[in-house]
Amino acid sequence: MPHSAVARWSRLAATGLILASGLTAGAAFAGPTSYPLTLSNCGVDITFSKAPERAMALGQNSAEIMLLLGLEDRVAGTAFWPSKVLPELAAANEEVKLLTVEIPTLEAVLAERPDFVAAQLLNLLGPNSTIATREDFANLDIPSYLSPGVCATSDNVADVHGSRASLWNMDLLYQEIDELAQIFDVSDRGQELIASFKAREAAIRERVAGSDGDPSFVFWFSSPSPADDAYLGGKNGASGFIADLLGGHNAITTEAEWPTVSWEGIVAANPTVLVIADLDRNRWDLDKPAAKKAFLTSDPVVSQIDAVKNGHIAVMDGQAMNPTIRTIYGAEQLVDQLVGFGLIK
Amino acid sequence: MTIKADRISWAAGKTVIVDDVSIAAEPGKMLGLLGPNGSGKSSLLRLLVGLRKPDSGQVTLDGEPIGQVSRRRLARRVALVEQHATTDASVTVLDVVRLGRTPHRSALSPWTSADDAAVEAALDRVGLAARRGQYWQTLSGGERQRVHIARALAQMPSEIVLDEPTNHLDIQHQIDILRLVNALPVTSIVALHDLNHAAMFCDRLAVMDKGRIVAEGTPEAVLSEQLLREVFRIEARIEPSPYHGKLHIH
Amino acid sequence: MSLVSRTLSGWAGLGLLAVLSLALLAVSIGAGVGIGELAIPPSTTFHAITNRLGWTAVPLDKIHESVIWDYRLSRALVASLCGAGLALCGAILQSLLRNPLAEPYVLGISAGASTGAVSVIVLGIGAGAVTLSSGAFAGALAAFLFVVILASGARGGADRTILAGVAASQLFNALTSYIVSTSANAQQARDVMFWLLGSFGGVRWPEFQLALVVVLIALAICLFYARALDAFTFGDDAASSLGIPVVRVRIILFATTAMLTATIVSMVGSIGFVGLVVPHVARFLVGPLHLRLLPACVGIGAIFMVLADIVSRIIIPQQVLPIGVVTALIGVPFFSVILYRARRAV
Repeated sequence: MPHSAVARWSRLAATGLILASGLTAGAAFAGPTSYPLTLSNCGVDITFSKAPERAMALGQNSAEIMLLLGLEDRVAGTAFWPSKVLPELAAANEEVKLLTVEIPTLEAVLAERPDFVAAQLLNLLGPNSTIATREDFANLDIPSYLSPGVCATSDNVADVHGSRASLWNMDLLYQEIDELAQIFDVSDRGQELIASFKAREAAIRERVAGSDGDPSFVFWFSSPSPADDAYLGGKNGASGFIADLLGGHNAITTEAEWPTVSWEGIVAANPTVLVIADLDRNRWDLDKPAAKKAFLTSDPVVSQIDAVKNGHIAVMDGQAMNPTIRTIYGAEQLVDQLVGFGLIK
Repeated sequence: MTIKADRISWAAGKTVIVDDVSIAAEPGKMLGLLGPNGSGKSSLLRLLVGLRKPDSGQVTLDGEPIGQVSRRRLARRVALVEQHATTDASVTVLDVVRLGRTPHRSALSPWTSADDAAVEAALDRVGLAARRGQYWQTLSGGERQRVHIARALAQMPSEIVLDEPTNHLDIQHQIDILRLVNALPVTSIVALHDLNHAAMFCDRLAVMDKGRIVAEGTPEAVLSEQLLREVFRIEARIEPSPYHGKLHIH
Repeated sequence: MSLVSRTLSGWAGLGLLAVLSLALLAVSIGAGVGIGELAIPPSTTFHAITNRLGWTAVPLDKIHESVIWDYRLSRALVASLCGAGLALCGAILQSLLRNPLAEPYVLGISAGASTGAVSVIVLGIGAGAVTLSSGAFAGALAAFLFVVILASGARGGADRTILAGVAASQLFNALTSYIVSTSANAQQARDVMFWLLGSFGGVRWPEFQLALVVVLIALAICLFYARALDAFTFGDDAASSLGIPVVRVRIILFATTAMLTATIVSMVGSIGFVGLVVPHVARFLVGPLHLRLLPACVGIGAIFMVLADIVSRIIIPQQVLPIGVVTALIGVPFFSVILYRARRAV
């Protein structure tokens, strides 16, 4: 078949998968990749003559996807890790060179002589990035890949007003996993991974299906100090998705992705469950759940809201509040706690 | 014919500062402008050199309305020495005097020997030729005034206007400067504070009070005990000095 | 207090200084090209340049050649132009406003640029057709116009203009904060704020061409008015009485510095200290007369910025320190030395 048709077919198959929710593997396009492979990524056509052997992953999510696909021996380096690696991937991650947990320099990236660069965010690879643009890599015959979640041209992403008009879902992640798997010629692993995520998603939905009620959630990321407004997960972001997955909704109604809300506003929202984030970084005292809990239970006003009085404070990995693969892990973290609260039968 | 003001008035906001003033300088002579603080002397001087536009009336230079004279041409004719012109820049005496050649040079013209000659002559006149390399910050008040006057002279003006050039100077410098200005072959208009100096050096006087000219003429004609009482609110006696023959107030 | 006039006389001294600066600039740019994280042998560096200039055709590692020519060389050249431009603006503003603390962002340019940048990125104004740089540029000009109106044209005195600049900076910074905090995408907001800190990371040859044109034109205009600027030494009235069309000169020079600063900020973000400190260093070396001061600012600013960029790239392994931090760290001690000497000499 002509190359573009291969690409179209694989996309069609992936879409079919997504539409047929609840179905596993089955008639998925999990065969070997036929090279040269051409993909359209964020409006740019990229071509691979063979599977990359020295890939560069810019961004934790891109790196973790590659590790989940078992590609650690083909990743030459990674950079930009806002939090620690998933425990199950720690061993594999040891084998991969870490450039820096911050934003790397272009020369450091090029020093690894990559033959493929995958980036999670626009500030790591994009027209306004301080590292490089896609053209820079194209000029050196290095194909570059941007996470579909940040394409400016995609419909499913945050609209031009920097907020999400509709609830985020894992479709774009599945697309990314699928495309990366094709690029590395591990489509079968890709499909397995997608299927496993879908199964986990379905499992959670099933788990909560039996319960009544529409619990409301507030996801508290962190605050510089108790007196400051809190950084919360927005209505339609990853937090909203988790809430929906758990059979409830995000109590915050603004569509901004990271709204700052005063405690007065949070009290007014009166959520059923208050989810507090556990962050790896050490920027603010309140990054740690213990500090958050201490504040919640000791503050005269906040301690009176239902969620705190009833002890419905759940801890979740902060990284899950970013629209990444960690989101589903976060949701799973919450399920058991919700069972403990008696909100899930 | 030189500078002439014809019924000019000027207000800053609602306050009238210069009120229906007519005044004319005499070519080659020194016109002294007297008046208590707030009488409008500084503003009048600025109107006379075209730095401000009068709200009504007209200032003319040799009969030509001063507003129609181009800035540069005007600067070649009329030089202004301000009361408090200071700078933080480390300019030398020579640098400042050379500024006086600005109206004679366009942006691209090189320095000529004519420029050199004018600057030398000006420095000699004020007696600072030997100190041309000295920095502004190291000069005394009197020396700074002399530098400004040299700068004004470098403009080769036919009219020179000075706004209280003797303020904050000690007595010896005050006399020196006025003597210097008096000896200049140009028409000069000087705003002064000290009545005795005015009497000593000026050929004509104009007295201002609350924006109006209340007296004008020779020192003998203008300075009277009544004037001193009304305008300056002092009781004093005026009589010719036995030393220099001019009027002296005490 | 001018070092040059104390040690060497007249034009000979200045000529020597000019040659020295050019040599130093060439060396600095050479260092900027040769130094970096990627270890590239000097012969490769040299041949990369000659290859791209079309003089040689030595086979070279593609990545090395690209890094040398497409990134390091263009970056060093842009850095030198930005340093030159910012220093030039600083000198002009310090003279026009008669304030030794004036610097290129005093007229609200940087604040306006931030508002323009966030409007494009966070609010999506321009619907994707407008780049971040264009947005920043438009914002910078908007702030400048605001200052002009507030200071009542160029008729406003120096103090009034400075106050108007302060007001504009406050207003546009507040607007930026408002947009960032109400609109959402934390990632976008962080990206923009980080970009605004200043960085040469994103510049390539197109930026060089733009910067070259703008800096050269601005320099030509400023040199044309160098004598007029000298006349401002004792204030606006003194300049006017020396025949300078004060209002016209102020308008032209303010507009020129605004355009130059806006171009630089929209290209590389706001880099502080250069515009403030370099004019003082230049004055210390060649004196306050503008025909010497302006070229000196251009030369020293260029060298300073290239060296600062090199430092920002190598001081922390695997990372680039924001250039504004480096310019401040170098600038402050320099400034202190200047101040101290100035006090002693008087």
